[in-house]
Amino acid sequence: MTTLVLDHVTKRFGGLVATNDVSLAIPPARITGVIGPNGAGKTTIVNLITGMLPLTAGAIRLGGRDLTHAAAHEVGRAGIARTFQNIRLLREASVADNIMVGFHRHEAVSVTASLFGLPSARRETARIRVRTQALLERFGMQRFADHPAGALAYGHQRRVEMMRALATEPDILILDEPVAGMNDVEARELGDIFEDLARSGMGIMLIEHNMRFVMRLCANIFVLDGGRLIAEGPPDAIAADPAVITAYLGI
Amino acid sequence: MIKFLAAYRPLIDLFLLQSGYALSQYIVLRAGVFSIASAGLAAIGAYVAALLTMRLGLSPILSIPIGAVAGLASALLISWPLARLRGVYQAIATLAFVQIVLSLNLYAEAVTGGAMGLNGIPSLVGTWTLLPVLIGVGYVVTAVNANKLGRAFEAMRQDEAVAASLGVSVTLNQSIAFGLSGAIAGLYGGLEAFHSYALEPNQFGFAFVVATLSYVVFGGRRSVLGPIIGTAVLVALPELARPLAENRTLAYGVLLMLVINFMPRGIVDSLLEYVHRRRMARP
Repeated sequence: MTTLVLDHVTKRFGGLVATNDVSLAIPPARITGVIGPNGAGKTTIVNLITGMLPLTAGAIRLGGRDLTHAAAHEVGRAGIARTFQNIRLLREASVADNIMVGFHRHEAVSVTASLFGLPSARRETARIRVRTQALLERFGMQRFADHPAGALAYGHQRRVEMMRALATEPDILILDEPVAGMNDVEARELGDIFEDLARSGMGIMLIEHNMRFVMRLCANIFVLDGGRLIAEGPPDAIAADPAVITAYLGI
Repeated sequence: MIKFLAAYRPLIDLFLLQSGYALSQYIVLRAGVFSIASAGLAAIGAYVAALLTMRLGLSPILSIPIGAVAGLASALLISWPLARLRGVYQAIATLAFVQIVLSLNLYAEAVTGGAMGLNGIPSLVGTWTLLPVLIGVGYVVTAVNANKLGRAFEAMRQDEAVAASLGVSVTLNQSIAFGLSGAIAGLYGGLEAFHSYALEPNQFGFAFVVATLSYVVFGGRRSVLGPIIGTAVLVALPELARPLAENRTLAYGVLLMLVINFMPRGIVDSLLEYVHRRRMARP
């Protein structure tokens, strides 16, 4: 069981402070929400965690492991997976192939075996194919397995991204606006899957604009505004917090 | 059939050799590395193999694989500075590498024979060596595509940030692709040395770069068949267009422009995609 911890994290772009002294924790087996108005610095935090941006100050730890200066692929290997706010799929590859790349972290086969197509490499590929099938079934996407990912409808593309992230079997799953542009029925379906994942022990960081969705799913919520943390607590407390109401309604 | 083979033997050999170079170019592009270093790496393999046999009397059975290893080692060496570059900058840096190898071959006259090149290399490699080697290399490239490495390459080619977020080390995998490309180029350099009696520096120059790139662009960059078919068509074209006499190169250029404009993925990939789409459309 591993908790993701941000310890006084600051990010400056020249004079602009995008993230100002933010400390938060994403515990396992729970859905933790991160909300805030546009430009609050939510996606910047995701990019800091995943090693796509270097931090100016502070520290990031996963369990006992220091990830403050880890490269993007090291963060992925350590067990943090993400989806992207602006969907990023391998558009030319099929849906199944998109998901199969996700298993990379767990592929133990050697370069030599992969190079010469030895039985061990082929067995591993076959195993991954079976697990990809299971993921497709879980998200009700079997019939799209062989379609090029770039040709799918928007909501389906989001699901492919989630399946790919789940294929890495992460300890922490970061979802950057996973139900943006979906209707309530679709959002509810995905919400059920997220709750299932949390029950299985995964720590989920949910970044979302859909307040109803966040309030229903999250055990704990962090609120950002202008790059700094303005509130933290369970959904009821957040909904009643005057600072949050001010930030959202601009009163 | 036998008559056909006899008449077109030189052309078939040329196709078998060029296909190897095309695969060397293909594998780097497949991993999203815009390298055109294959020409320089092939030159290294060719000269190493030829010199080992001519000066030290080593059997080609040993010197050709050593040429391949030289190609691999050189590729791994330059993959280190190359890892910091992307896209067109990689292309320029690798073109510089090709020029450096060419110049070194010209200046080191005592060893390489300079502009005169190396002559009287025993011609020991024929169709029946080239064919199984191409099948072997084709197998390796196919195996790579079907396994862990191929999946990582495909992800890197399409979106480096996504690949990294899934735990794929871009630097490591680019080096592997580059090393494999260097080994194939070195191997085929050695084979060419023992196929054609003579080597000279300019045969691994700019014309080589353009030719191998056109094979892959023409045939396709995803399927392994792409570069092979591309080579077959472009090697056969000057023969087929013989009636056009001195306008043959014009036909070559026009065909290349048509394919780039109307089938930007190359003929094989465009065709495969068309078939796939037809199959998907059916309920």
